[in-house]
Amino acid sequence: MLQKIAPQTLRLLALVAVMVLITLFFASQISGFLNGRLFNRISSSVAIMALIATGQTLVILTRNIDLSVGSIVGFVAFATGLMVGHHPDLNPIVLLVFSMLIGAGFGLVNGVLVAYARVPSIIVTLATMALYRSSLVWFSDGKSITTESLPQWLINFPNTVLFSLGAMEFRAAFCASLVVVIAVALAMAKLRPARQIYAVGSNPEAADLAGIDAARVVLAAFVLSGVLSGLAGYMFLARYGTITVVAGLGFELKSVASAVVGGVNIFGGSGSVIGAFLGAILVDLLENGLRLLPGLSEFWREAVLGALILAAVATDTVISRRLAAVRAARAQKEALAAREVAP
Amino acid sequence: MTNPTLALRSVSKSFGMTAALSDMTLELFPGEVHAIVGENGAGKSTMIKIMTGVYQPSSGQIELDGAAVVLPGTKAARLRGVAAIYQEPMVFPDLDVTENISISSTEGLVLHRGAMRRAAEALIARIGMKLDVDRVASGLTLAEQQAVEIARALSQDVRVLIMDEPTASLSAHEATELRRIAKSLAEGGVSVVYISHRLEEVFQVADRVTVIRDGMHISTRLVGETNPQLLIAEMVGREVGNYFTKMASTARDEVLLSVHDLGVAGVFQGISFDLRRGEVLAMSGLIGARRTDVALALFGILKISSGTVSYKGAPLKVASPRDAIAAGIAYVSEDRRKLGLAMALPIRWNISLATLRRYLSALGLIDVKAEAGMAEVFRQRLNIRTPDVEMAVGMLSGGNQQKVMLAKWLNMEPDLLIVDEPTRGIDVGAKAEVHDLIRAFAAAGGAVLVVSSDLPEVLAMGDRILVMREGRQMAVIEAADASQERIMALATGQRGAA
Repeated sequence: MLQKIAPQTLRLLALVAVMVLITLFFASQISGFLNGRLFNRISSSVAIMALIATGQTLVILTRNIDLSVGSIVGFVAFATGLMVGHHPDLNPIVLLVFSMLIGAGFGLVNGVLVAYARVPSIIVTLATMALYRSSLVWFSDGKSITTESLPQWLINFPNTVLFSLGAMEFRAAFCASLVVVIAVALAMAKLRPARQIYAVGSNPEAADLAGIDAARVVLAAFVLSGVLSGLAGYMFLARYGTITVVAGLGFELKSVASAVVGGVNIFGGSGSVIGAFLGAILVDLLENGLRLLPGLSEFWREAVLGALILAAVATDTVISRRLAAVRAARAQKEALAAREVAP
Repeated sequence: MTNPTLALRSVSKSFGMTAALSDMTLELFPGEVHAIVGENGAGKSTMIKIMTGVYQPSSGQIELDGAAVVLPGTKAARLRGVAAIYQEPMVFPDLDVTENISISSTEGLVLHRGAMRRAAEALIARIGMKLDVDRVASGLTLAEQQAVEIARALSQDVRVLIMDEPTASLSAHEATELRRIAKSLAEGGVSVVYISHRLEEVFQVADRVTVIRDGMHISTRLVGETNPQLLIAEMVGREVGNYFTKMASTARDEVLLSVHDLGVAGVFQGISFDLRRGEVLAMSGLIGARRTDVALALFGILKISSGTVSYKGAPLKVASPRDAIAAGIAYVSEDRRKLGLAMALPIRWNISLATLRRYLSALGLIDVKAEAGMAEVFRQRLNIRTPDVEMAVGMLSGGNQQKVMLAKWLNMEPDLLIVDEPTRGIDVGAKAEVHDLIRAFAAAGGAVLVVSSDLPEVLAMGDRILVMREGRQMAVIEAADASQERIMALATGQRGAA
């Protein structure tokens, strides 16, 4: 039975099961945990993180990492706020493209340095994380974007309720994010260039010999990560309204956490954006649950969160290794049986 | 006569001052299996890389169907129908068989799983394999991975297929299968280039054979017009009496290791032999015979579940490689790259890795001088060809890497040396040197267990030969009574041969 399900699907199902268990645990410990407010809070926050984690996943699949996403989100949020403040009647779509283009520019810088200058991505993006953040400080001159300077449609957009199930509101930001994630997921499964992302991460040398331009694939992954971070910056601006120089701080690690919790192999080659999306939800669920858990001080919250993420990834690794071993053993047995039959 | 599909015309390639290929000329005709033999470093890899567009010739030209072409990269070569498969298959472990086969295709933006799957099945069937195209590549055997690679090449209408040491890691059964595939591809009009260190298989599979030495073309003949002795003479540039000389036994009376009815649950069982000091016991068998697992059990990596092992007259107690090393047992792995050497680190560091404790000063710091002195001694004794011992091991040729690995374990001064495939993928000259080193160790009073798939090697080195098949011991035979045919008969399960 298990043999029939693809390993990737099995991982996602396991993730959902873990999510249900954690929800039940919190519900048993916290009175009134399960309510519409919780869903709304998590979905609003995941709307932003899911986009970043999706971009991060594309990069991780190619055996790289993008630590500059948090700074890109901050910079784009600020620049977009400034832009719309000066031109309040700007078309929303044009503004969106503006945000994504800035993100793409930052992603392009990362990508060129990693793919063509051959500098390890952890070094490149560690540096650009600081550089992009510093340029935000310089560019903003220490000032902040405030809600007053933004047009009403932008502030209203993320909280517009498209439909609701009981007390659970499906707001525009979350739905938009969901659409993007699903679109990327479909593209990753169905498009030829996307398959090359997996190929490059799975075996770079073989990809080269198979005639795949690995540098271009890596570049594309970084640019897409930049675009998605730019999109997230737009959403961030719309949700919070107030943007300071610390906007998006720490998002890089949270996006990596979402991806690995979601079963994306940190060494590249396997994983899915749906997994990263579920991972983002799981991380947020834990954060929210721990915040409400009685008797857990704020001081310990981060530590428990870290431990739980570690436990989730370790469990996942152990389970998938076992599974792989079982499958390999079975395949070998079948091969031996086949050889016995053959003369 | 038809035109050659691909031809090299006076191709030279140099790296800095070193000439890797000089004035190389080669013609590949449709429908032929063309074997290329030569020692390691003779220029075979450089030649493949030029034919597949990885390198550009420094001078001379490549012709396809009689017209000069430039192949600026592997993709360009593939599009023109030139592809290569290697000893280590180049598959994508995270992708399934279908995806692996179709990865090089450039048609269309959207993938059609159904069509891809049918195409993959057809290609697998065309090379006469049985393989579930939905399996993920990481779970495939080496032979299956190679089949996937061949299918991938076929999916692009390959016209010249270069097989670089394709059977080096395969069992005899799988190797036969692969040679059959090579032949059938040639019958279908493909030019197959077959590179191999196993001369006997060259005579089984090839129509013509080219010898290259020191980057130069030495000869191209029909296989019917040459023989192994002649090929070896041309490869090394001198006459060689036989593959390897049979070594005289140096066995003493003292039994060092006595294994009785040894087993590891689910892996192997019923292994019994005595090993005396000065003796070399060769373990032969096909891939999957579990010879390496016997070695791993003695080295403390696999947990022994039945039987007794006495060592130096007392029961052997090893629960980990650390215990084994402490007891004077060394295990030289078959996999240099993964388990044997730290490729990026200097020779000196690699040699002292297992014995670093000895080179510590009073303060617990590494005594670099003593360490370097020891490494230098081994460099000379083992004739490791390198300018100095600070060179990264990855820069050395396979044969020299093997010597560094041996040096690392000999430096431990073990009593029992277990060597697994000591000469895989290294050239004939280096093989003989490695054999001499191992015999010298035995002659000095050590006991040696050699696991090898190379029958001439087993016959040359072993004082006695233990043949295994699928986790069982088939027989232990004296070298004097052994022959390739008899060992192969035992390894394939004909008990009567014992």
